[in-house]
Amino acid sequence: MNKTVNINLANTLFHIDDDAYNKLRRYLESIRRSFAGTKGSDEIIADIEARIAELFLEKMENERQVITHKEVDQVIEVMGQPEDYMVDEDIFEDEPKKSYAESSTNRAKKLYRDIDHKYIGGVCAGLEHYLGIDALWIRLIFILLAVFTSGFGFIAYILLWILVPEAATTSQKLDMRGEPVNISNIERKVKEGFDDVADKVKNVDYEKVGDKVKSGSKTFFDTIGDIILFLFKVFGKFIGILLIIIGASTLVGLFFGLFTVGMFDAVHVPGIDFYEIVNTSGAPVWVVSILLFFAVGIPFFFLLYLGLKILVNNLKSIGNIAKFSLLGLWLISVGLLIVFGIRQAAEFSYTGSVNDRTELTMEIPSDTLVITMKDGEMDYNRDDIRFGRMTFGYDENDNRILMSDEVDIKVRKSDTDSISINIRKDADGSSTPAARDRARNIEYAYTIDGNEIVLDKYLTTEIANKARNQEVTITIYVPESMTVYFDDSTTRYIGRGIDNDQGFYRSGMAGQYWLMKDDGELKCLDCPEDDDEESDGNGKIIINEDGIDIDIKDDQDSFEMKINEDGVKVKAKEKSNN
Amino acid sequence: MNIENTKAQMRKGVLEYCILSILKDDDKYASEILGALKDAKMLVVEGTIYPLLTRLKNAGLLNYRWEESTSGPPRKYYALTETGQLFLNELNGTWDELRNAVNLVTNTK
Repeated sequence: MNKTVNINLANTLFHIDDDAYNKLRRYLESIRRSFAGTKGSDEIIADIEARIAELFLEKMENERQVITHKEVDQVIEVMGQPEDYMVDEDIFEDEPKKSYAESSTNRAKKLYRDIDHKYIGGVCAGLEHYLGIDALWIRLIFILLAVFTSGFGFIAYILLWILVPEAATTSQKLDMRGEPVNISNIERKVKEGFDDVADKVKNVDYEKVGDKVKSGSKTFFDTIGDIILFLFKVFGKFIGILLIIIGASTLVGLFFGLFTVGMFDAVHVPGIDFYEIVNTSGAPVWVVSILLFFAVGIPFFFLLYLGLKILVNNLKSIGNIAKFSLLGLWLISVGLLIVFGIRQAAEFSYTGSVNDRTELTMEIPSDTLVITMKDGEMDYNRDDIRFGRMTFGYDENDNRILMSDEVDIKVRKSDTDSISINIRKDADGSSTPAARDRARNIEYAYTIDGNEIVLDKYLTTEIANKARNQEVTITIYVPESMTVYFDDSTTRYIGRGIDNDQGFYRSGMAGQYWLMKDDGELKCLDCPEDDDEESDGNGKIIINEDGIDIDIKDDQDSFEMKINEDGVKVKAKEKSNN
Repeated sequence: MNIENTKAQMRKGVLEYCILSILKDDDKYASEILGALKDAKMLVVEGTIYPLLTRLKNAGLLNYRWEESTSGPPRKYYALTETGQLFLNELNGTWDELRNAVNLVTNTK
């Protein structure tokens, strides 16, 4: 069932279907528009209407027949689309130009906000039409601008939102797209719009019938649902943007970081050598760089892809082949890195050491043994690069060698009457013999000068031995009642666990004279007396810039603790009862 | 370059001449003119003709009179004016020249 309308076309009455009527009306409307501004347009329209009436009459079998969609379509087919009515201007040059059509042919694009394809205000979608760049990129640029220029992009967007008008009318939309405003375009737009509205109306009708009863409450919850959905969408987009930024910046960072390292290897920039001395897997640095790039980069690439997918609904899939090959590449990279890592770790799994104990005979026997560290010429010949306590140096033949200041000094009581020195060399390796071999390759020297032991500050080894925690421990055995003097140069090298009456730990012992007692403890001969030792009263606790000073006494016992630049001193005394 | 466009351009160029020629001997109304043009395959859609007729009329080459129709609305019968007749004669000469020229050009190998 359908409503009919009575129309008067060229003084003839027609019954026409409601739908067909609308169609015919739109058709005549667009033709009329195409002749707007043309001389005698009314006459042309009248002629056309007369012809249409004629065509309808030909199709009518009786007076009561109704004109439907079909007839209108047939007539339009015979008469032609609106642009067919246009006659080429050049042929009729004597005719006045149609200003309307003329101005529309070479129309410049105008900037409008495209509210049909908007995310926020349609600014980027509008710029897409204006600049001919995909809106996705424009949005990304705005986001990046907003992030990296502390909000400039954001302000620019708001300004554009306020200043640029939205494309509301059909003609504005065509202007925005730069399409010439001609009849067929307008008609197309109008049709599209009409179809949209028609669809909406249809859907509304359908829903009304379906949910007649609860329609009242439904609309309310629908609205809330819409708002929540919208918030989720905005939140989702935000997450998408975040993912893109994280993914993209990580990828760019990785690329520049690792690939430049890989490049350095090719052109030999100092510093990369460290990789070589540490690396044992035999994999060149560029291979490890690329593996690392894949292992870290691929997950971030997927993050980036996910972000894009959230932002762009119709994003093309990268395809399963690409996805799985990336996954495979990632697994291979991670696997290889793990293998390299295990091999690397194995290199350090065993420690081997060699000992070399020598009895020293002092040229000038004296009561005092002086321990000094030598500022070797190595100090001036080393590269300014460090790996842990390892660095590069050059020997007298300009050969590159590894140097380390992993040198510890210890002092012990000698069992005999003579001084002896023990050099212990340690290194790591994949097995104990390998480690011991490596330890044997450590070069370390000392000299005896009068009653002075001059120790090298550095141990050295050839580069081929690689950096494997090489270290040297020098133990000097001092007979009882001999005085030992640690030169200031030894400050950084004094090892742990030298027994002394001051409770000094490591560096505190430098610069003082120490007497070896019979129990192996060193007694300080010139340490400043503690001023506070005799202080009376019940005790004190002082914490200031000099350190911490705690002194507690009562009848039975006392406790003293001092922490300052000399180290830690702790004294606890109990009055003997017997 | 779109071939359909070029074809349409060529047709439109001589359409005016054809309309005048159809009206050479007796007066005709729009549907008759359309019929003649359609038979000769000069026209694809009818719409093109109406602005042309109006143009020719406004240029004083054609005039028309209304005649009642037994079936349907009254009809507009178009006729050549004196100016139109002269115009047509002129075009006839031009067309002959053009046809010869085109023949000459297209047949020369």
